[in-house]
This record gives sequence, structure tokens and C-alpha cells, in this order.
Amino acid sequence: MIKEGAMPMDSYRLAQYAVQVPCYICGVDNTFDAELCRQCFAPMALAHQATTQKINPRMVAAIGASSAGKTVYLGMLMDMLSRQPDRLQMMARGAFSINLQQSTASALARGEFPRKTPTEPDRWNWVHAQLRMAGKKQPLELIMPDMAGEALLEEVDHPHTYDVIHPLLSKCFGALILIDTVKLQSGSLDQDYFTMKLLSYLAELDEDPKRGWSKRPVGFVLTKADECEECFVDPSGFAQARAPGLWRQCQERFRNHRFFAVGVAGGCAYRNRREGKLRVPLRVEPRGLIEPFEWLVKQA
Amino acid sequence: MPTIRNPWRLCFAGLASGCALAGSVWGNAPFWGGAAAVGLCWVALESYRRLPRPQPADADAGAAAEELAESEPLAPIDPNDLNSLVEGMLARDRYALLLRRQLVSNLSPEQFQQAREALENQMALAPSGEVSLAAPGDDDSGDDDSPSESVRRVEAMFLDRYPVTNRQYLQFVEAGGYEQMSIWDPQVWTAVFDFVDATGTPGPRFWKHGRYPRGEDDLPVVGVSWYEAAAYARWVGKRLPTEAEWVKAGSWPVPLSDKKQWQRKFPWGDTMDRERCNLWGSGPDKVVAVGEFSSGVSVGGVYQLIGNVWEWTSGNFGAAESASQDLLLPVPMKSIRGGAFDTYFENQATCQFQSGDNPLSRKHNIGFRCALGMCDVAAPEPGAGRHEEFQEAEPEQAEETHA
Repeated sequence: MIKEGAMPMDSYRLAQYAVQVPCYICGVDNTFDAELCRQCFAPMALAHQATTQKINPRMVAAIGASSAGKTVYLGMLMDMLSRQPDRLQMMARGAFSINLQQSTASALARGEFPRKTPTEPDRWNWVHAQLRMAGKKQPLELIMPDMAGEALLEEVDHPHTYDVIHPLLSKCFGALILIDTVKLQSGSLDQDYFTMKLLSYLAELDEDPKRGWSKRPVGFVLTKADECEECFVDPSGFAQARAPGLWRQCQERFRNHRFFAVGVAGGCAYRNRREGKLRVPLRVEPRGLIEPFEWLVKQA
Repeated sequence: MPTIRNPWRLCFAGLASGCALAGSVWGNAPFWGGAAAVGLCWVALESYRRLPRPQPADADAGAAAEELAESEPLAPIDPNDLNSLVEGMLARDRYALLLRRQLVSNLSPEQFQQAREALENQMALAPSGEVSLAAPGDDDSGDDDSPSESVRRVEAMFLDRYPVTNRQYLQFVEAGGYEQMSIWDPQVWTAVFDFVDATGTPGPRFWKHGRYPRGEDDLPVVGVSWYEAAAYARWVGKRLPTEAEWVKAGSWPVPLSDKKQWQRKFPWGDTMDRERCNLWGSGPDKVVAVGEFSSGVSVGGVYQLIGNVWEWTSGNFGAAESASQDLLLPVPMKSIRGGAFDTYFENQATCQFQSGDNPLSRKHNIGFRCALGMCDVAAPEPGAGRHEEFQEAEPEQAEETHA
């Protein structure tokens, strides 16, 4: 049985509904109680936190091809920085910001890699965190989304397919571009081509000679380097030898760039699953994860 | 004039190519001709690699040399003098060879005593018994009468109290361990040429000029493959521990009934205590000396089984545990255990957790320790063998010893 009742019409609530809240990423107006932006599907919590806490978070992007290791990198980075606050200390703002590190760490501890990030932006994990650096009084407010590689590829090939990517990358103060070392080592040029496309897209987003992407810091992160020890010795040399197109393009288009090598799994194997062979980590020993991020945020 | 540091290797390669050449002539087989050509090229390449190269600057070389450890001068061994041989072997931690039943009769009582003391100081005894290789809770079949598949029987054995250190491994390198092919697995003979340090000298991967950096004497040796670990173990008269031996020494099982036993998850108990081991977040984020983290010692007195460096064992990865049996390995792997200074998750640094790596891998966080079966160690037998000779040679001293 349904009971009918009368709800009081509070004038202050009506007033809130009347005021539109702009999305922090794309700037489109949304209603007060919208959970996701109606245009780009970014969480509106980012806008609310910025308004109520009177902060202006900076944005940083971790982008790369599908299966380059973006989710593992970001999730592990957050977990490490929240557990061991020696050089950098990260404090998540909002429960939604912990989802990424929770899902990544839980999967790795079980001996699995986290599931692929869905292509739908409303299912991406977003992180809003406060970052404290040794020697700096003011903390840095950061927003980092974990974007799907397929979505990035689609956006690069067909601009404005995903309304969130263009405004987000335009506003980022820097980016980490993740490249799969194992694929580079195997001789596959897909990584090289895709990253070159991404660099072209970035460079053309904002060509302002003073504030454009040519001046912004870009860290090239060679992931899965635990399976290629020589990559740790000289990441730049490795990239030059294995991805010459990418290396040349970043020399010419990005003045502030650096190459890094990172590894999360100490060794990998495969398991037979219905969907095919599934790559699994044999153990987790993060190596070099903090350095690229530290290099980037010190220039924020 | 080229400097040939390892003539044995070249002799081996030359002999192999010579045999192949002979086969090609007499056997008239194209295969043997090709093999001979490859062998001769090998010899030529090795000779070329050993040509002295001009150094960029003597000053730089001198500065680099200053940063490297100097070997402790040990008394040279005279192979014709038995006492010199025994003393030299004791000084190089090769006491396990002296305690073999076949050799022990050659020792004087003092030498035997010295070897026994070295054994007791450097190795811990693990009694015989059963041990489960599965993590607690993983092998509960629910049926008390059915034996678990992961339970193994282990005979009494000794396990090194500490992982093998740089200082110990240097003795192996200086004694020409990389040229004594009899202690290497035959299938890896060709790969031994690649087991060189950063300067191309035989030795662990991160050493230079056959030396480790100064001040790292007591750090566990890392950058060694499974084959190098096995060769060192043979050189000192020991072997790598089996999976079950390693787990037993750490988890120290206690039988509760005929079918059930309790065993620890960590050498100190069932709860992780990061103060007791060098893992990610609990240590200096690098390898530490083998004597540190002494509060993490096992019941039997074995240090650093958990943390600091992974340890090679003799077992194959994936062979023992059901959890890893459905794994498809890119290469056959050897088992490593114990976790390292950069191991992130606590559940991957337990006595039961097993990981694996390519036996040819020479990683920055994999070391090893050795084991010795109790059955391979001679018990004291006063009055036997050389003891009598000793009495005849110096009766007064011998009487004092027996008294």
C-alpha cells in the first residue's frame, strides 16, 4: 500500500535548484543534485568540492594506449603515496577518490591485474586528492582521471567523440604518457604510432607558444619495464632505439619532457580463462613509480 | 698480445670445435661442418673480447677502483700440503666439503672440530618432519582423514643462517668458480660466458671488475642467476634448499595430531610485523646487511627468511602448489621464496608464498642461501682415520686432545 504525503517546499532548496553548477571539467551548467555532468560525465563532486572548499584543483593526465598500464600505475601510485608519506603525501578527497586505489590494490594482492577500464566516461575512476610535498607549505590539489585507452584512441582519431577528453587535456598542467615496454621490445610499432598520434593531438590542443603543450611538462613513462631490465638503465636510449618516431617527435614538439621506466610486477605469467589467456602478476614490487609523478608535480 | 684470462673456456670451445671439425671430415656431415665453424667463430669472438682496450682515463679507472672492495688476503693453498688445503677450505667457508663422510677421515681432531664449529655457527638445523607448502586455509579439504596434497616429508637438514653475502661470493669468484665447469650444470655451459658483471668480468651482474662496491661485504649477493647460485652451492659442498626444506625452516611446523599440524605464516608467528623484516615501507628501500632485522629470526635461528632478498630454491615454479598449476609460464621458471625489500603486499611475503623467475634472470632483489642434508655430514668418530696418524706424529698433543 502506498501512502501519500505532502513534502514541504523549502524555499532554500528551490533556490539551490535554480542556481546552475558548472562542471569543473567542461564548464557546462548542471543542476545542483546532478551526480555526473550531463555533457561530459565527469563527477560533479569535483565542482562541489571546489566551490565549498574554495580550492582550485589542478589537473594532470595519465594517458596511453589500451593496456599500457594506466590503471595499475595510477592506482599503485595513489596507494604508495597514501601509505608512505616520505617525499610526497597524498590524501584522497571524497570517497570516490579511493575507488581506484582500492580496486587496483585488491586485484594485485589477489595475484591479478585490475579489469580494463570501461570506455564509458561515467564508469571511469576519478581521483581528487590533496598532495603535500616535502619543503612546500601549501598543498597541491590535484584531479586525475583514469581514462580508457580505447576512448583516447577514438577521441584522437575522431575528435569530440568523448566530450570530456578535449577540455580535460586542455586544462591539464602536464601529462604522463604511458608506453608499453613489452610491446616495444617485441618490435611492435603500434605503441609508437599511437603515442605519436597522441602527441600530435596534445600539441594541437593548445599551440600558445608561452602556455601551450610545447612548454608543459610531459613525462614519458615506459611501463612494465620489470620485463626489460635494460630499460631501467637508460629509458631515453631505449625509447630512441625502439620507438624512433616517438622519440623524434617529442624532441621537436615538447621542450620539457623526460623519459622514465617503471615496473609494478616483478614477474608475469598467464592463466587460461574463458576469454583467453589472462596476464597475471607473480608478485608485486613497484619500481620507479614515484619519480615521474614527482618530477611532474614539482613543476605545477 | 691478447690477455687470456680464462684459458680453460677457450680450450673447451676449441676442443668442441675441433671435435666437430673432425666429425665433418670423417663423418662427411654438413651439420658437423657448420658446428665447427660456429665453434671457431666462438673462439675468435672470445679472443677478441679479451683484447686489452684503451681506457678513457687512468684517473677515472683509479677512482672507480677505490670504490670497490678489496679482497681479504687469504693464505695461498698448497695442493700438496694437506694442512694448507684444509685451512684454506675452512677460510673460504667450504667446511661442508670437509665434513663429508668420504673426506672427514683426513682431518685432524682440531680441524674436524673447527669444521663442526663453522657448521654450527653458520647453519641452523631443521629437524625432520612434515610440512605443508600451501598457505594456511588453502588446503583444507574438510576431510580430516585425507592427506593434503601439499604436505611434504622433509629429512633433517642444515640451512644457512644468513643469505650468501658478497664477501662469501667473492671467494668463489676469486677461486675461479666461473671457470670450473665441473660445478656448473652442463646445459648452461654456453650461458656461463654471459654471467659477467657490469665491466664484462665474470661475477654478479652489479659488480665491477670482479668486485662488489666497498662497504657492501655483508650485503646478500644479488644479480646472480639460479645457475650461479647452484654452482656456488656445489663449490662450498652444499646445495640449494628444496621448496619443502625452505618452508619448513621458516614455518617450523608443530604436529597437533597424526593428521594435523600447526605451522607459522611468518618465522616469528602468524601476524605480520614489519619491524621484523625488510619489506616495502618497513626498511630503507634497499638491500640491507644479512645480520639486520634480527628480531625476525626463525625458531631454528635462520635470519631474514622473510624480506631483504628473494631466495632461489631448487624447485620448479608451479610444480608444487595447486594455485600455480594452471599458470602458463613464458619460460620454465625456478621457485623463489621469502619476498624482498621491495615486496609490496604482506601476503606475498609469507613462508608459504611462492613466486618464480627465469633461472637465467640476474635481478637486483634475488639472492640465495644454501642447504646441507644432515645425512651428508659425518658424525664425530674419535680415533678414526687421520686421528691415528696425528697421534703417531705428535703423541703429546694428541693425548691432550683426547683428555
